[in-house]
Amino acid sequence: MRNQQRTRCLLMLCAACAIAGCERSAGERSDTSGSIGASASPEQSTTSNLLVAGDSLRFIEHPDNLPAGFPSSIKPLLVTNPYEGDRQAITVGGQLFIGYNCMDCHGAEGSGAMAPSFQDGRWHFGGSPGEVFESIYQGRPDGMPAWGGRISNEQIWMLTTYVRSLASKDLSTENFTGKTVERSGH
Amino acid sequence: MTADARRALTALLVATLSACSAEPRTATRDSAAGDGPQATSAAAIGTASPSGARIAVPHAGPPGEWQMPAGDYANSRYSELSSITPQNAANLRVAWAFSTGVLRGHEGQPLVIDNTMYVVTPYPNVSYAIDLAQTGQPLKWKFRPVNSQQAIGRACCDVVNRGAAYADGKIFYNLLDGHTIAINSATGNQVWRTKMGDLSRGETITMAPIVVKGKVIVGSSGGEMGVRGWIAAIDAATGKEVWRAYNVGPDRDVKIGPKFKPFYAHDRGKDLGVTSWPGDTWKTGGGVVWGWLSYDPALNLIYHGTSNPGPWNVNQRKGDNKWTAAILARDADTGEMVWAFQVTPHDMWDYDAVNENILVDLPIKGQVRKALVHFDRNGFAYTMDRATGEVLLAEPFVPMNWSTGIDLATGRPNVVESKKTAQDKLVKDICPSLEGGKNQQPAAFSPQTGLFYVPTINLCMDFTARAVTYIAGTPFIGGSAPEKGGPGGYRGEFIAWDAATGKKIWGIKEPYPVWGGALATAGGVVFYGTLDGWFKAVDARSGKVLYQFKVGSGVVGNPVTYTGPDGKQYVAIYAGIGGDMGLLIAGDVAASLPYDVRERGTTLPDLARWTSWGGELFVFSL
Repeated sequence: MRNQQRTRCLLMLCAACAIAGCERSAGERSDTSGSIGASASPEQSTTSNLLVAGDSLRFIEHPDNLPAGFPSSIKPLLVTNPYEGDRQAITVGGQLFIGYNCMDCHGAEGSGAMAPSFQDGRWHFGGSPGEVFESIYQGRPDGMPAWGGRISNEQIWMLTTYVRSLASKDLSTENFTGKTVERSGH
Repeated sequence: MTADARRALTALLVATLSACSAEPRTATRDSAAGDGPQATSAAAIGTASPSGARIAVPHAGPPGEWQMPAGDYANSRYSELSSITPQNAANLRVAWAFSTGVLRGHEGQPLVIDNTMYVVTPYPNVSYAIDLAQTGQPLKWKFRPVNSQQAIGRACCDVVNRGAAYADGKIFYNLLDGHTIAINSATGNQVWRTKMGDLSRGETITMAPIVVKGKVIVGSSGGEMGVRGWIAAIDAATGKEVWRAYNVGPDRDVKIGPKFKPFYAHDRGKDLGVTSWPGDTWKTGGGVVWGWLSYDPALNLIYHGTSNPGPWNVNQRKGDNKWTAAILARDADTGEMVWAFQVTPHDMWDYDAVNENILVDLPIKGQVRKALVHFDRNGFAYTMDRATGEVLLAEPFVPMNWSTGIDLATGRPNVVESKKTAQDKLVKDICPSLEGGKNQQPAAFSPQTGLFYVPTINLCMDFTARAVTYIAGTPFIGGSAPEKGGPGGYRGEFIAWDAATGKKIWGIKEPYPVWGGALATAGGVVFYGTLDGWFKAVDARSGKVLYQFKVGSGVVGNPVTYTGPDGKQYVAIYAGIGGDMGLLIAGDVAASLPYDVRERGTTLPDLARWTSWGGELFVFSL
């Protein structure tokens, strides 16, 4: 129920004005010292991980980047997606994907266009929830804009949930049997 | 037989053949032949035609070199070289090849100056100087510019580059991240580097510049990113910006002043670049200059097209949306607008007007006119008066259904009501598709035949516009338009077009859109390449394919011809599929990595079976 309310609220925010939404969440970020959890629900802050001043050198865990036995005094942030598997978050994430113009780069349903596909099971910067969150939050060097502080962390998590839901296809073989898929230009 | 004798014989053959062709064309040609002064001036610049048609500006440099993107300011892509003929073209073979080391769409063409070939790659826009005088074609130099990686994700339609310009010992070209650079052609050292576009707002640069009277003329891409289009001149010696004219906004910014004399009444009025838009929407209205530039030294005018208005959703921008989807003529010294013609006012279909404007003097209805010929995305071929901006004739050159014709009293299209797009409305079967009847792939003109050789596209689309919010640096599109093959069971055709009468003379149907440009030669042979990787040599008069060779990747580039140090005629062309057509809807070539496997889009379902990514220069000779 609460989830539904929040969903409706976020949708209205998105539809009303994307930029206004950015400004609001920028203020929000400083209030919560850069929480990357669902910042609208303070009670979750005990289970989500906080990025506070003293944590400035910590990084979100990229499991593939950590060699076994590599000595490190820094404990990576193990972040969890508050909406993992939440169908409603996938739906809202899909609407945000259109509303924030993600679709126009990444293609309808993430089929790929100006920017990489989300359907081919290949993640240039890691496909774990934390890694995808980080890519959206920080942006990426090939032209992916940074959305952190421009939209709320909840919305970034919903986008993460949606985008990860698309990577379900096994595309290891192409055999030219004539099968085609619908894909829109731009 | 000497080259001159051969040329004379070819000209005679052409004249004889055209005399046998359809009646109206013969009449046109006869009346032009009697035009004394025109014939004299044509002979003076060496591009005389038995038809009376001539290229408005001579080839740049010696006939054996290729110093400008289109060979000349007129954008004719015609060469006087004549060793390769319909009689011997079957003996063509690959002379040598060179890998550019870069995948992605190789649009554009190399330059050849003083036995050196200059190649510019797609992003990261590496340039090579290749020594043609030595066996094995070693490099003289290689230059890799500083070029922001962010540009890759800000370019709408692949990370292409359409080539370099040359003047006074310098090579000039644009970087995808919005810079223009000058390189010393002898040493490969960068002479200057000037930031022209704002990448953070989505301004990338893909077009080929031209150099006019010591100024490098450039424009940007980003029409799908909500940018505000401009064209600018840079001092070729210093890299300093000399003038910049916007294509939307108030007259002061657009450089509309006392020199502005548009031909049609509806283009006259104050600040139409503001008042033909609702509110401030002109500020994100597009109208960029990503296509080819022409220049007429006699009129001192630069001609350029402008891209579609943004966003695609027409409900967000009621009005004519000036000066988007237009052909503009500007004073070459100051950038002041002299005339404007909006090809598709209030565009509803993403019909940019950036395709090349070819400057020729054509006999039309018994009178030689200073013409500009333009094959638009909207499917009409326009023959215009390039001094005034008057449309002399406009006829469809591909299958189309969105308009019943152009009203010559106003220059405006008569739009079919059922093909008008609107927000949240699905409009089916609009032809041509948003890729247009022709896109960036430039046509060529031969004064020998008086014909234009045009690579065309035969696709249709289902269009749905939707509301979109402007967010700087992200696409500002507001619509989707799945494409499909057009009527007739083919998706592209290479055609010969008579711009004096507005008629197709012959055509070679292709299974895929012809996304590579054309080259016409005095040998009577025309060259082009196809998306599925065929390089073709064609008889300019009959359209008969004389020779074809399957190159390593689909062709989206433009052939050029030059004379080697051995005196032989060579034809060079890039292979390297990509660009809008190759990148977005060509199946596995659209994958984000070349070795990825992808399901194929419906538009070109089996193109991936015929070709794959590449980046190679192929050079042919007899």
